[in-house]
Amino acid sequence: MKELISTVKRDYILDLAVRGKRIDDRALDQYREITIERGVIGTAQGSALVKLGNTQVMVGVKLEKGEPFKDSPRSGILVVNAELLPLASPTFEPGPPNEDAIELARVVDRVIRESEMIDLEKLCLKEGEEVWAVFVDIYVLDHDGNLIDASVLASVAALYDVKPPAVPDWTLPGFPLRAKPVAVTVVKLNGVLMVDAKLEEENVAEARLTISTTENGNICAIQKGGSGFFSRDEVERAYELALRCGEELRKKL
Amino acid sequence: MLFVSNRELVVPGKLLAEGNYVAGEGAFVEDGKIFSSVVGLTEIRERSVSVISLQGRYIPRRGDKVIGIVVDTHPYGWILDLNSPYTGNLLASELVGRRIDIFKEDLSKLLRMGDAVLAEVREVDDRWRVFLSPLQRGRIKEGRLVEISPAKVPRVIGRRGSMLRVLQETTGCRLEVGINGRILVKGKDPDKVNAVVEAILLIEKEAHLSGLTDRIKAKLEKLR
Amino acid sequence: MERPKLIVDGRRLDGRRPDELRPFRIKAGVLKRADGSAYMELGKNKILVAVYGPKEMHPRHLQQSDVAVLRCRYNMAPFSVEERKRPGPDRRSMEISKVIREALEPVLFLHLYPRAVIDVFIEVLQADAGTRTAGITAASVALADAGIPMRDLVTGISAGKVDGTVVLDLMKEEDQWGEADMPIAVMPRKKLITLLQMDGNFTPEEFRQAFDLAFKGVELLYEAQKEALREKYLPSLEEER
Repeated sequence: MKELISTVKRDYILDLAVRGKRIDDRALDQYREITIERGVIGTAQGSALVKLGNTQVMVGVKLEKGEPFKDSPRSGILVVNAELLPLASPTFEPGPPNEDAIELARVVDRVIRESEMIDLEKLCLKEGEEVWAVFVDIYVLDHDGNLIDASVLASVAALYDVKPPAVPDWTLPGFPLRAKPVAVTVVKLNGVLMVDAKLEEENVAEARLTISTTENGNICAIQKGGSGFFSRDEVERAYELALRCGEELRKKL
Repeated sequence: MLFVSNRELVVPGKLLAEGNYVAGEGAFVEDGKIFSSVVGLTEIRERSVSVISLQGRYIPRRGDKVIGIVVDTHPYGWILDLNSPYTGNLLASELVGRRIDIFKEDLSKLLRMGDAVLAEVREVDDRWRVFLSPLQRGRIKEGRLVEISPAKVPRVIGRRGSMLRVLQETTGCRLEVGINGRILVKGKDPDKVNAVVEAILLIEKEAHLSGLTDRIKAKLEKLR
Repeated sequence: MERPKLIVDGRRLDGRRPDELRPFRIKAGVLKRADGSAYMELGKNKILVAVYGPKEMHPRHLQQSDVAVLRCRYNMAPFSVEERKRPGPDRRSMEISKVIREALEPVLFLHLYPRAVIDVFIEVLQADAGTRTAGITAASVALADAGIPMRDLVTGISAGKVDGTVVLDLMKEEDQWGEADMPIAVMPRKKLITLLQMDGNFTPEEFRQAFDLAFKGVELLYEAQKEALREKYLPSLEEER
């Protein structure tokens, strides 16, 4: 279901953009207020609740034993699932994940997997037979834009919150994590690039570009969304924004 | 007998009155007693006991001035979203004030999806179809549109228009207030327009507090 | 796993007496997008409810010409239970969604909004027995928070029997190992029952005792529901006095 936005509001937002301004007085490279609460769900091995402005995303991490994939018998399993709960927006309908929920889950999965944040090899119990499976469940509770950045932040925070299950099989001192990837989504609005779009800005934007980076500035995942386009130069500028803003986000973790 | 005082905060199921009283809006009668059906502030006028809800959706009534947003078209006009469970019907011929030949004229040149229209609710039939009469020729072209909870709109108008006067006279802006929670703010100075928008959002937040008109007036006069 | 003794010296596993509720709290208006919302904790239960509506009902053929339709969806988060639950509705959550809807319908003035729909979404973020009644308790608050007119709030709690003793507000272990579990929801003003389910074994006397305990629990929760709604506006009203 599409969001309803009046042409009056749309024109106002577009007009502000070319003057370098936004509806809530933020700078083009400024994020809304961010809070991260860890350990919010006792039944999960790790959890976090991220508030990014009015957007709220909760992530629960569960560890379970499972069979490894045949082509990687020594590797633990990572499963990322996202639910765009009908709670969160009048445009989210109950039912199995739609293309937006699936895209969200797969983007977050790539950020975690390609940054090699989790040392999956260390999660092997018996080669070819039993490994630990890491389930990252993303629960979007309140939608006011920029679900990708909020979900990545919440997922990484939840993974760092993991307290290993109190079972004899767990032999590691902690949860094998390295690297802290972050995602920065840049939207293009009337030709102007800005980060952390509020819902109203998202509804008017031509396209979005999510660039995920690790501490050394390397890029581990990119996703372009929306039916508009970016020039090569815009992609370069988006990368600069992603580096700069990404550093600030990483400090919160 | 009354069990509450005026402007008291009540919740659903609260016993308001018994005996020679009439239930107004936000209240209902059960076993000869009057109870509140919503969260709101009591309003006691002579023998009438009402509860003014602090939340709630807009339900169209004849004579209401509203701002609708075009969500669909049909052969003779458009369907407008009214921020309500019920949508409004607007005829193209009424918008332009003359007969329209739908085979010759392109309706989308008159109004597009997402355009906002200032209108009046002409009629609501017994099947809850809402018929609108435009108050302007064509779409809203200028100004800033603010959306607030419809329950708070009376506060933006104020008793006998007092709040509306404060908003307009201190800033020189002109407001078109839609009962359905959409308010258009027009003005030459963008800073003054922004100030009015902020004032409206503040009114929405503090609608249940008293002395609001004076506080808003003081805030806006600082800008003069 | 060995079945523990559920009552020792008149005290339950968490130290409670048979007639005590677990610690609880209720907050109204916690979500920005929803028309109404509420968050509730009862023991280790964490439940979030959002209400959308009344709004236009799609598809149109499901509209009722003279009343609004109430839709309820009870759902558990994958991480809400010890063993991860696969996302999506299962048979249990579908039954619970139905009985919750039927518990809430009687209080709502549905005839005020013909052809419209009111959606109630109940998400269990963390579960520890008694989620359906806590869900109803929170949903009532969310409905009132949305400004939907109602005759009264609906308040729910469970009563049951463990180790031969009738108890109020079962926790997970008691639900699992006990002899009876009875969730109940009430319109507290007139003590009208809108949800009643039971499984297990009760003598008629135990059944009455369970009812008495449940009504006591309902009184306490009802006060908390009302307080949650007032609290949204009262701090500021207090300031101005």
